[in-house]
Amino acid sequence: MTTVRRQATRRTPERIPGQGDMWVLVFFESLVFTSYFGVYLYYRGRHEAAFLEAQSHLDLGLGVLDTIVLLTSSWSIARCVQNARRDRHRAALRDACLTAALGVGFLGLKITEWTAQISAGRTFTSGDFFQHYFFLTIIHAVHLLIGFVVLGVLAHQLADPRRRSQKIVETCATYWHTVDFLWVLIFALLYVVR
Amino acid sequence: MTRDTSKRELRLTWYATVAFYQMYAVVFFLFTHIQPPGQPWYDPREVSQWFARHHGGLLFGLALIFALGGLSATSIGLITYSIRRMSVSRAFAYSYLILYSVSAVPGFMFICVALTAGAMRPDRDPKLQQWLYDLGFLSFAGTMGVFLIGSLVWMTAILLDTNGVFPKWFGYLNLCNALTEVVVAPSWIFQRGMFAWNGLISWWVDVVVFGLYTGVFILLLKRMIDRDGPLPAEAAA
Repeated sequence: MTTVRRQATRRTPERIPGQGDMWVLVFFESLVFTSYFGVYLYYRGRHEAAFLEAQSHLDLGLGVLDTIVLLTSSWSIARCVQNARRDRHRAALRDACLTAALGVGFLGLKITEWTAQISAGRTFTSGDFFQHYFFLTIIHAVHLLIGFVVLGVLAHQLADPRRRSQKIVETCATYWHTVDFLWVLIFALLYVVR
Repeated sequence: MTRDTSKRELRLTWYATVAFYQMYAVVFFLFTHIQPPGQPWYDPREVSQWFARHHGGLLFGLALIFALGGLSATSIGLITYSIRRMSVSRAFAYSYLILYSVSAVPGFMFICVALTAGAMRPDRDPKLQQWLYDLGFLSFAGTMGVFLIGSLVWMTAILLDTNGVFPKWFGYLNLCNALTEVVVAPSWIFQRGMFAWNGLISWWVDVVVFGLYTGVFILLLKRMIDRDGPLPAEAAA
């Protein structure tokens, strides 16, 4: 009786999605970005008025649109994982393509935004705020570009039944979610916190 | 060559790697004060004073580097060897070896030459000394990107490897290290602030990541040697 109760109360251990190793990257990149955010907040604290003035030149609406596009890409990659788990690999591949398309859309929006800022004379050397703005958004874009390579690996896995590995699919999705997660923090700091 | 003999040689190479990194830290941080770097905004007079202040340390420390800096080859050798143990093409090992051998010149040796020249010629025009100072620190900090592809080659080899020479998480850590090396590039533009060569992002964050990464790969190389020993072909020789 006691054994039965013990078995009933024992929780099934939750499996970490994908390779556990990828979570080292998630953790480490989160720490590195935390340090970047810390530096941003330090400078912001020292030059609050200048930061507020510079921040007013950012288009909050465009930032919201960036975020919606990237969050949608996270939704589509999550659908991709779910479809792959149910052996619906064609649908999973479609979701991966949709994720990539949304990623390209996000990058397009960023390039539009950078071009507008540079055309208005606000560049990487235009004060502390824009140094942070260009640095954080560009280093994030580099992560996004790596994300396209990751999506390529994922599509390569899904395309051939001999190669398919659910673990790799989940690992790739974890990376993409990290890119999304980092953007949400960057968006909050650069666009929203005033 | 027996398996034990070859393992002993690998251990000797590993200890040489540890000795190199310890010497590097002592020389760059304590003797010469190259790290943390001098202020990028110094005018010629201040640069002359910087050379005068660190004259003895620069000469002694950099003499040590010129004499023993070649030990840095042991870590490149061991890492190349680790890639050779993997199930990937030898092209990865050769690419890594060549990339890091070439990159060591701008990324490590050039600052030693420039700052030794500055320290050995205190009578020269301060403007020339400032030029050597800028050249030294910019070559050291601003060219970190030359190591980028090397890290990515090692990362790719680890992720593709099926022999389990290194854990996959270390492959991902290579990517993190490569990405922080890129962010030093703005030190060419800025003389003040977080992106200057002694800035919060360009130097402080970077040096912490690099220190951690170096410590981890040295330990993993030791683990590889203890666990795997020499390549089968070497043991059979």
